[in-house]
Formats: sequence, structure tokens, C-alpha cells
Amino acid sequence: MIRWQLAYPETEIPLFGRPIGPDEYNAFVTMHGTIMVFFVAMPLLVAAMGNFLIPLMIGARDMAFPRLNMMSVWVLAVASLVLLASFFVEAGPAAAGWTGYPPLSARIEYTGVEYGLDLWILALALEFASFLMGGINFLVTPINLRTRGMSLFRLPLIVWMIMGASILFLLSVGPLIAGAVFLLLDRNLGTSFFLAEGGGDPLLWQHLFWFFGHPEVYVILLPAAGAMMEIISTFSRKTIFGYKSIIYAVMIAGVLSFLVWAHHQFISGLDPRLAMPFSITTILISVPFAFIIFSMLATMWGGSIWLTTPMWFAVGGLSVFIFGGVTGIFNGSAPVDIYIHDTYFVVAHFHSTLFSTVFLGGFAALYYWYPKMFGRMMNEFWGKVHFWGTYIFFLLVFVPMHLLGVGGMMRRIADPSKYEFVKELLPMNEFITVAAIGLLLIQAPFVFNFLGSMFVGKKASENPWDATTLEWTTPSPPPHGNWPGAIPAVHRPPYEYAVPGVSEEWLPQSRPEGAAS
Amino acid sequence: MNAGSASTPDAVEPSPVPAAKLGIWWFLASEVMVFGGALVSFILLRLVGPGWSEDLAHNSVALGSINTLILITSSFTIVEVLSAQKRGDEKKFRSFMGITIVLGLLFLVIKGVEYSAHFSEGLFPDKGLFWAFYFGLTGLHALHVLAGIVANASLLVVVSRPGGFARYSHRAEMNGLYWHFVDVVWIFLFPLLYLG
Amino acid sequence: MAAGEAHGPSNVIIWVYLVVLAILSVFVSSVFPAPADTIAVFALAIAKAVLVLLYFMHLRVEKIFIHSLFFIPLLLVVVLYVGLMPDIMRSMY
Repeated sequence: MIRWQLAYPETEIPLFGRPIGPDEYNAFVTMHGTIMVFFVAMPLLVAAMGNFLIPLMIGARDMAFPRLNMMSVWVLAVASLVLLASFFVEAGPAAAGWTGYPPLSARIEYTGVEYGLDLWILALALEFASFLMGGINFLVTPINLRTRGMSLFRLPLIVWMIMGASILFLLSVGPLIAGAVFLLLDRNLGTSFFLAEGGGDPLLWQHLFWFFGHPEVYVILLPAAGAMMEIISTFSRKTIFGYKSIIYAVMIAGVLSFLVWAHHQFISGLDPRLAMPFSITTILISVPFAFIIFSMLATMWGGSIWLTTPMWFAVGGLSVFIFGGVTGIFNGSAPVDIYIHDTYFVVAHFHSTLFSTVFLGGFAALYYWYPKMFGRMMNEFWGKVHFWGTYIFFLLVFVPMHLLGVGGMMRRIADPSKYEFVKELLPMNEFITVAAIGLLLIQAPFVFNFLGSMFVGKKASENPWDATTLEWTTPSPPPHGNWPGAIPAVHRPPYEYAVPGVSEEWLPQSRPEGAAS
Repeated sequence: MNAGSASTPDAVEPSPVPAAKLGIWWFLASEVMVFGGALVSFILLRLVGPGWSEDLAHNSVALGSINTLILITSSFTIVEVLSAQKRGDEKKFRSFMGITIVLGLLFLVIKGVEYSAHFSEGLFPDKGLFWAFYFGLTGLHALHVLAGIVANASLLVVVSRPGGFARYSHRAEMNGLYWHFVDVVWIFLFPLLYLG
Repeated sequence: MAAGEAHGPSNVIIWVYLVVLAILSVFVSSVFPAPADTIAVFALAIAKAVLVLLYFMHLRVEKIFIHSLFFIPLLLVVVLYVGLMPDIMRSMY
């Protein structure tokens, strides 16, 4: 709907019945950002994968605090309901952008949104509480419940990634929680933490938000990258390139991610003395990520690649991520950023990094672990149709969007035809909208494949992909308590594929030392 | 849980810290960031602000000091709860936990007295930045105190049940760590909001 | 006292220290001149916090792992402070 408005301003939107006004447009953009980042990406990538995979991969019966876990699920459910409810209260949902910058968000009059924004803050607060509980679980479980022989450096990389994401989340969310409390007080009790006329400072919120916001990007990104690594190693039949170095790279990136937040604010009246250091850290942070990307490429190099659907998605995600990463460098340097900030270039940048990880990485993980979850295989043919459709339509949507950005089109404007210089970009907008609709439609085979395969899919064996990590040593789907008998002990690192001098092509982590060679 | 796992405990890699303690420390780490962010905002805005000595004068140093002493003392009593737990002294455990809860409630009552005094003087959170921060910070802290009281009270209830002491009393350490953290926050709030 | 506290001062003594420091900080803030009192009061507050952390929260006998769980966030708070400073202080000049 957002795209429709950009392509055909002031026309009726099919299925919606009427054109959307600027207020509603703002609300849609806000809710799209919030829902995607906090209510799709995080639950899917961090919570779902963490809860399902961590115990299976480390050889534990359950998470360390099962009751805390249940609580976090229910709190998340309530948070989602609160957010949905905000669509229906008087004056509509939050409309201050997903970053909720004051002064726009701090006074009811500024956006005309009444309870919607309060509900938005409330939903976020509940969601944070939920992930706080989840995050503690994701950290304590791998530290305390590893099976015999599973040393820290034998953990599959995705477990490391989820732990890294949890640490980043736990340490970055605090200031934002404080900020959210202040913002609620501003709105409801007339305080002025973030309003200049009362002595407050609107920049303060931006700092608090992005201090959380940038690590948050990695909270989403790391688990997806972890899933991609698992898949790429399995289907290249090769051990991952530079296992320990990847872990160290993630640690470095984690530390740096706390030092880059102000690059989101280069044009917010930031002190110029801050811009330079933040430019440098921003460009520095691309180094560990470049290393991670090259590890994945090197893993594929010379491997005997087995092109299954999860592998397609993983490789596709990697390629888009490289593209998104390169455009990030442009954003990183303050002088260029001042030109392109708040244009569609930025929108295209974060969509190509986040889309590649959240959706392509997420789909890869779903196709890969689906047999383990439901005990049946998904259909390969429709999976590939889904991949190619998604991939091509994605490129058709977001490559032109970069051009729009360089052409000067601003973010978050409701009616592009109101600006002269943006008008000439209208055909391109139309094109993007058509492609976006295609992107949506191509998800249909996935939905049918996902639901259908639960009933008619081929029965999955314990280990359909000939993978080495621990979750493939138990029946699919795993019984209650994860292993029917004793939990297997671990004797070797993950990813022992095609080890020289060994007759078997792959060695599960549970294979004892002597039995292999 | 199936028979195989119930009869023999699963072998796990040794861990440096028990799970519950690790969990509570992770939680405290994120709490440090919550209060850290709020205090940093306050200190910075205070440094650039016009100076709030007039507003500060409305706060009763006497009541604030009493509350400080109450929290410090309750921190002491909850440590005694822990050592009673280690000795297996059920009676001391319960009486010290009771004292801790009462002290926590007393803290909230005094806080409430202060709040009502402010309100009767017409000092609400929208009367300037200082009062915004004052109510924001102390309110947030008071909520933590309340949560601590609830946690302590529920521990006291389960421990008082027959057989409860053996099963649950080890949780006193987690309650203690949380309670001390709340105390430490107040140790910084007191000079910032009353003395500064 | 139990065997657990045999090493190091007992809880009562720590409590007495804390009370003395608290009274001292109130006294100092009312007696010392303007800039000195703030510094002194905060030094006393830090001393109190350290006492609680070391003895009541057992950091004194905890492992490095737990220490890092406390001090890394503290470091990040300092980072946040430094990062925010130029922006908010701008209004001073």
C-alpha cells in the first residue's frame, strides 16, 4: 500500500477502497518499520531459531529457564495484540516514523495521533521485556547446558551468533527503555525531556534510540548470518573457513556496533566533532563483516556444492548482502551521507541488507530445518520457484530504488508528485510498485508449500542433508526432551566434511574419535 | 520427559557459574544500562541546565537520608537471609526476610509521603525538567523496589510451606543480588536528586 | 557468623561503614563550599556502591566472568556519556 501511493498518488488503492491521506501514509510507514523489525525479524530469527535450535545443537533437553521462556512467548503475544490494537483506536496508529523522533512524537498535537503512539511505545516496551527474558535464556543455556564434550569452540556457529545477538540486545536496550519511559511521561504528564522549550533536548532521544538501534541491526543480522553459515558449510560439503576467526570477527563487530550509533544522525544537527569519529568507526565495522562474507565465499570455494533450496536462499542472501554492504560504505562517510540521507538510497540500503538476511536468510533456515521441525521434507521444485521469483523481484524493487535516492527522492513523503524534481521519477516508482506486488505474489508458492508439506511431504529421515551438527542425530521431529535415549556426547568440532584420510564423507559431531579413522 | 533421561541425569560440560546466578547477572547487566542511560541523560542536562538549586531545596534531605539508611539496612538484612540459608537456619531466614520486606515497604511509604508533599506544593512532573527527571527516576526506582518486595514476599511464602525451605531457599541469593542492585541505584540517586 | 563469612569483615561491619558514609555525605554536602561538596559527595557514593558490590553482592569472591558482566555495561554507560556530551553541551557556548 505504501508503494501504491508512491506510484499512483491520490488514486484509489485496490482492496483498500480509497486513497490514503498523508496522515495515514505516515502511520503505515511507521507501522511497517516497527512490525518488520520488531515483530517479524526478531521473533523469527532470534526467538524461533534460538528456542528450537539451541537445545538441539548443544545437546540439552530444554532451555535453562523453561518457565521464563513461556513467559516471554506470552508477553510477546500480548505485545503484538497491543500493537494491532493501535490500528483501531481513535486517531489511528503511531505515525512518527519507526524511530519515533521527538518533537514529533512527544506531543499529541504534532501528529494528531492520540493513544496510538502510547500503545506503540507500550507494545515496544512489552516486546523488549519479552526479549530480555528470551535473551537471558539464550545466553545461559549454551553456557551451562552443553552436553559432554561440547566445548565452546565446538559450538555450531549459529549458536555463537544467537549468543552474540543476545548480548548486543541486553546491553543496548537499556538506554532506550529509559528513553521510552521519558517519552511516555512527555506525552502523558506534560514533561519535556525531549522538548527544547522545556529545557530538554530532542537529540537526546535520537542518541538513546540509535545507541540501541545500531546494535539492533546486528541482533537481526547475526542469527541470519549464522543460519547461512550452517547451510553453506553443509551444502558445500566443506568445513567452514576460519571458524575461530569468524567468532572473533563477530566479537569485534559487536564492540564496534556500540560505537557507531551517531552515523544515523549526521544531518540531525549533530556536533561536527562527532561526525568524524563516527564515520571512521562506521567504515571500520565493515571490516569484520567483510571477513565473515569472505569466509562464506571461501567455504564454497572448491566445495562440491549441492544446490538445494536452502542453499539457493543462502547464496542468494549472501549476494544481496554484499550489495547492501557496499552501498553502506557510501552512507558511512559523513559528506556523502549528508547528500543522500533520508532519501530512498538509504531506504534501499537497509532493505537490501535486512531483506537479504531476514527474508532470504530466514527462508533458507526454514527450508533447511523444516524437516527437523515437522518430520517431512518441503517440495524442492516449488522451493526453487519461490527462490527465483523472490530473488528477481527483489532486485527489480530495490536496485531502481537506489537510483531514486540518488535522484533526490526523500523518504517518508506521502505524495511524491507534490515535488517538482521528484515528479520525473514517477515512472520508476510505478515500476517498483509493480515489482513489489510481484514480490508479494511470489510468496504464494511458499505458503502452499509450507502448509502442504506438513501433510503430504516426503517423510524426513533423521538427517536428510547429511549434516554433522547435533540436531541431526535425533528423530525428526524431535520427541519431548529432544532425544529419546541418552544425549549423545560430542567428540569433534562441527563441520567435519570431506576430512582428508577418512573414508566417510561427513563425520557427525557425536562420532567418537576412534570410530572415524 | 521419558524414562531414560529421568533416571540418569544428563552429562553436561562443567560451567563456571550456576544457571540462576548467571541469569540474574545478565539481567542486572541490562538493568545497569537502563539506569545508566537515564542517569547519563540527567547528569548531562543538569550540567548544561540553568542549575536547579531552587528546585532541589524543595526536597527534604532528612527524608531522603532516612530512606538511604533504610535501604542500606535492608541490604544488610538480606545478606543475613543468605547466611541464614547457608547455615540452614530456617527461623532466622524467615525473620530477616520479613524485616527486609518491611523495610522495603517503609521506603515506599516515605517516598509516598514525599510525593504527596510535592503534589500539595503544586510540584508535578511538568513543572520543569528537574521535576520531570525527579519523578521519572524515583518512580522507575520505586517500581524496582516494589518488584523486589513482591519477589521477596513470594520467596518467603514458598519457603514457609512444608518442605519449602529445602527446595527454594537457595533462591535467596538471586533476590539478594537484585535487592542490592536496587540499593546501589538509590545510592547514586540520593546525592543526585537531594544533595547535588 | 557462619563459616562463609570467616574471611573478611562481617556483614555488620560493612553495614556500619555504609551508615557512616551515608551520614558523612549528608554532612559534607551541607558544610563544604560549592564545587568541593559535589566531588566529595560523589566520591562517598562511589565508595558506598563499591562496598555493597564487593561484600554484599560477593563480587570480591566472584569469578572474572561475573565481573565482566558488571563492568562491561558500566563501560558502555561511559561511552554513552562521552558520545552524548558534545551534542548536549553545545548549548553551553
